[in-house]
Amino acid sequence: MKLNNITPDSVLSDQKKLSNCEETKKECKLVVLQSIGYPFLCNLVESPKIEIFDKELFELYAQDQWDGFTANEGSFLFDQKLLPDFAFKIIKAHPENSRITKNTNILLMELPEVREIKRVESKILMEDVIGQERAKTKCKIIMKYLQDPEIFGEWAPRNVLFHGFPGTGKTMLAKSLSSELKIPLFMVKATTLIGEHVGDGARQIHDLFEMAASCAPSVIFIDEIDAIGLDRRYQSLRGDVSEVVNALLTEMDGISPNLGVVTIGATNNPPLLDQALRSRFEEEIEFTLPDESERLSILELYSVSLPLEVDVDLKKLAAITRGMSGRDIKDRILKIALHKAFSCDDDVLTWKHIEYALKHHEKDKKEPKEMYA
Amino acid sequence: MQPLAGAAGYDKGISIFSPDGRLFQVEYAREAVKRGTTSLGVKSSEGVVLVVDKRPTSTLVEPQSIEKIFQVDDHIGAATSGLVADARALIEKARLESQINKITYNEPIAVEILAKKICDMKQMYTQHGGVRPFGSALIIGGVNDNGSRLFETDPSGALIEYKATAIGAGRAIAMEVFEKNYAEDITLADAIELALDAIYEATEGKTTNESVEIAVIEEKTHSYRKLSDDEMSEHVEELLIRKSKEDEIEEE
Repeated sequence: MKLNNITPDSVLSDQKKLSNCEETKKECKLVVLQSIGYPFLCNLVESPKIEIFDKELFELYAQDQWDGFTANEGSFLFDQKLLPDFAFKIIKAHPENSRITKNTNILLMELPEVREIKRVESKILMEDVIGQERAKTKCKIIMKYLQDPEIFGEWAPRNVLFHGFPGTGKTMLAKSLSSELKIPLFMVKATTLIGEHVGDGARQIHDLFEMAASCAPSVIFIDEIDAIGLDRRYQSLRGDVSEVVNALLTEMDGISPNLGVVTIGATNNPPLLDQALRSRFEEEIEFTLPDESERLSILELYSVSLPLEVDVDLKKLAAITRGMSGRDIKDRILKIALHKAFSCDDDVLTWKHIEYALKHHEKDKKEPKEMYA
Repeated sequence: MQPLAGAAGYDKGISIFSPDGRLFQVEYAREAVKRGTTSLGVKSSEGVVLVVDKRPTSTLVEPQSIEKIFQVDDHIGAATSGLVADARALIEKARLESQINKITYNEPIAVEILAKKICDMKQMYTQHGGVRPFGSALIIGGVNDNGSRLFETDPSGALIEYKATAIGAGRAIAMEVFEKNYAEDITLADAIELALDAIYEATEGKTTNESVEIAVIEEKTHSYRKLSDDEMSEHVEELLIRKSKEDEIEEE
């Protein structure tokens, strides 16, 4: 049997007290509620989204069913009528610990749906990204702009595209930007912006830019932007391409000026992007594969953090890892070599282990070099 | 190379244009050329120089078996990059064409005519169903009565005459060197020096006297000649000394 306000128990599990027990309480003037949801989820019930259709009607509805309940800030009220056991949280009660009556003003706070955008906590600094000077310069300009948006006027940096081979530091640079900037950086993976249903994608994009604009100056970093910025020619492949791209286009440079919001997109497949979208980017910065001296710097950087002592001619290694990206060097060479050293119970990482990793890497590539000369 | 994502199925057939007028298979063939090592040609006031970089894939490979410079006729040579097998087929065709010309007209074939013949053949393989384009580019250099000529042919059959050009992996770097240092009235010796400089830069300094091959076609003799091992190591040693000196100056 359901516990509701007819039950004679004086104390309920959720701290609501019945009116007839404490007649002495003051009358509550205002209660502000926030919809929370069901106490648990199961696959039969979907948590509904509550929207107020008519404020007065809701007030009547709420007064009627919670008449006599005690309003405490932070406690919960359960709906007993339309959505049995749907919980509302009291976020404001005036006065505190008072009784809800037919005269209490009850409001439901309409919160914009808060999608969590994590502020990435990273310790990566801009110096940790080796090479890619052009991208770094751009990032410095963006930082400068965000510190003092006034001086740029209409010449402010707006949209930048990072592209290039996988593992060359596009995301890493964005992370370093987040750790060096003191302003909000919205780091989103484009795939999370797509959403489940048709129409979600566009809405989420609008939400994102709205949120970024509300706390301007801010930076939006969209990783793997080709997931949402697909060329509209691919309409036949995915039905919502056109709407998502259009949403992105209007947000990036459209009707709303979005002042103080810098958008950085990253992709390793720029030809996939929609032409109109590409033209929105004032600068397309290519992340190149590291050259020999850059590879040496990368090796030096990582070898310091290796848990084993390193006895390897890094210069030699830098010379023979031509064509590898920073990630290749870290994950496919150093990591494999380290794991090999661990598995051999060696205390020092030597060339022997590196050779093992290199051999592995060569095998992975399987390029028929003999065919070309 | 990253797959050309914009292809959207238009790369399935060689004879199909994409809506924006591209032939993806032909573009892919150009990528095959980039997989080859660098080859280059420089025109000088005394003749044409062809230089190739040929790093063996294994220590067991006999270096002389990797052929990248071919003699086409007495007065014409060609440097290749890209698919080895395709290059050989093209060279075969070039040799045949120059002999046909000689027999038909009783005179050596003009370099331009030969280059055009090769390109005609390459072009045919971009316009027919069931075939694929040639995956190699050729630098055709030679000497005619009116002086030295140097042509580059690419897999599409496009033909451009150059003063100095490069194909293969190190093209961009080599072209940069040429653009900076090429002079119209360069001597043959200087042309060799310039070409080796470009090879050195394109291979990130991994040039040895076994990794390069040099051929010259001199205006004086009207004949193709591959440099002997001694001559070559002389040039390469000179290059290495010059480069190490440059490095020293830079360090200072």
